[in-house]
Amino acid sequence: MTPRPFSRRGFLVGLGALAGAAGLAACSNEAPPGPPAPGAPPSPTTTTSTDPAAYEGEVAWVALGAALSGLAGDLLGQAATGAGQGRFGAVPAVVSAYLSGAAAQHVAHAEAWNRLLTAGGRPAVTGYPLTVEPALRERLDAARAPVDLLGLAADLTGTVAATVTRIVGEVTDASAVTLAAGVGPVVAMHGATADFLLGRPPTAPTDPIAGALTPDALTV
Amino acid sequence: MTAPAPADVPILQTASSLVELTLDTYVRLQRLAFGGGASAPAPVRELLVAAVAALERARTDLAEATRDAGGRVQTDPDPEYAPVVEQALPTVRGPGDVVGLALTLEDVLAQTLVSDVVELSAPPVRATVAGHAAAAARRKALLLTLQTLLASGRTELVAAPPDLLALPPGAGTVGFPDVLFPTEKASPPTEGTPR
Repeated sequence: MTPRPFSRRGFLVGLGALAGAAGLAACSNEAPPGPPAPGAPPSPTTTTSTDPAAYEGEVAWVALGAALSGLAGDLLGQAATGAGQGRFGAVPAVVSAYLSGAAAQHVAHAEAWNRLLTAGGRPAVTGYPLTVEPALRERLDAARAPVDLLGLAADLTGTVAATVTRIVGEVTDASAVTLAAGVGPVVAMHGATADFLLGRPPTAPTDPIAGALTPDALTV
Repeated sequence: MTAPAPADVPILQTASSLVELTLDTYVRLQRLAFGGGASAPAPVRELLVAAVAALERARTDLAEATRDAGGRVQTDPDPEYAPVVEQALPTVRGPGDVVGLALTLEDVLAQTLVSDVVELSAPPVRATVAGHAAAAARRKALLLTLQTLLASGRTELVAAPPDLLALPPGAGTVGFPDVLFPTEKASPPTEGTPR
């Protein structure tokens, strides 16, 4: 199959589904759906996509968005699951709700990035093929208390927000710009909430792309 | 580096007008004892300080982009929302009102900036505006959280650091209600052009 330019129509179909999910979330006081329940099959920890040449140029930035959003969703989801299993001591309900809610939105973002890839004839990113994945998993494994989970979430969402902001300036496809424009502020909101729960004073980075990943971080 | 185009000028001017209004409003809210003064809850007071610094950076960046696009820098407040602020300010009676007014402005500003990212022609300017949209979204998230806690009547929950065991679970998610940031409240690109 010959890759073709991103299909705006195909993307908008996916965006519509995402908007529906947003509407449902906005109409409910419940936290968005969280990670798989305890006992569910574990998600893959290290996977790769299929075609090494699939992600080049502008497409690589979209693949980066998919991989990083997916990794954030998986890590925060596993943190929420571990909290439910008592791995991190007594985790306040507000922290568990935060982790589950943010994880669900990251997963939805990864799905949207992947829909953009497949609409353009590229394979979806499977797993989390990123150079930063092992270190972040080690940090989750080393977490012992709720504050460790919130610190990981604050740092991770900072990286995702910076990367998505960087993507805005690197892509020209209208669908990719639209998705990045809508995702970045939501991830920034995750970061602000984590900072509040940690008791950190509100701030905004003077350089909004500091710490951003580039496609060099992709391992596919 | 791709320079912004003349067609970007009204977009940037309208964004500037909203930044001017929001910044001026924050400065005025800071003068209130329960906004930026000693009786204000610490998270509210700290938010106002951080917001002023971030909005001053936004003002500078938008002015530079406007000049690069060949336009006149907009220094007047947004004409649509300025009367709303003037009407609301005398009715501000406590931290909850401070948060409510700030939230109204931040939501419009953030939604406008997100919409602008899609409409602007030059990727570097898009990225700059996206950074300020993210900053406004961060403030919106905190304001949504503070608004919920203040509305509960348990003002002791609005503290830095907060008592995590006492916070309701909803405080962990109320700050990010949408999967994608909405834009239906975005101001039209010509709303804040100089008259």
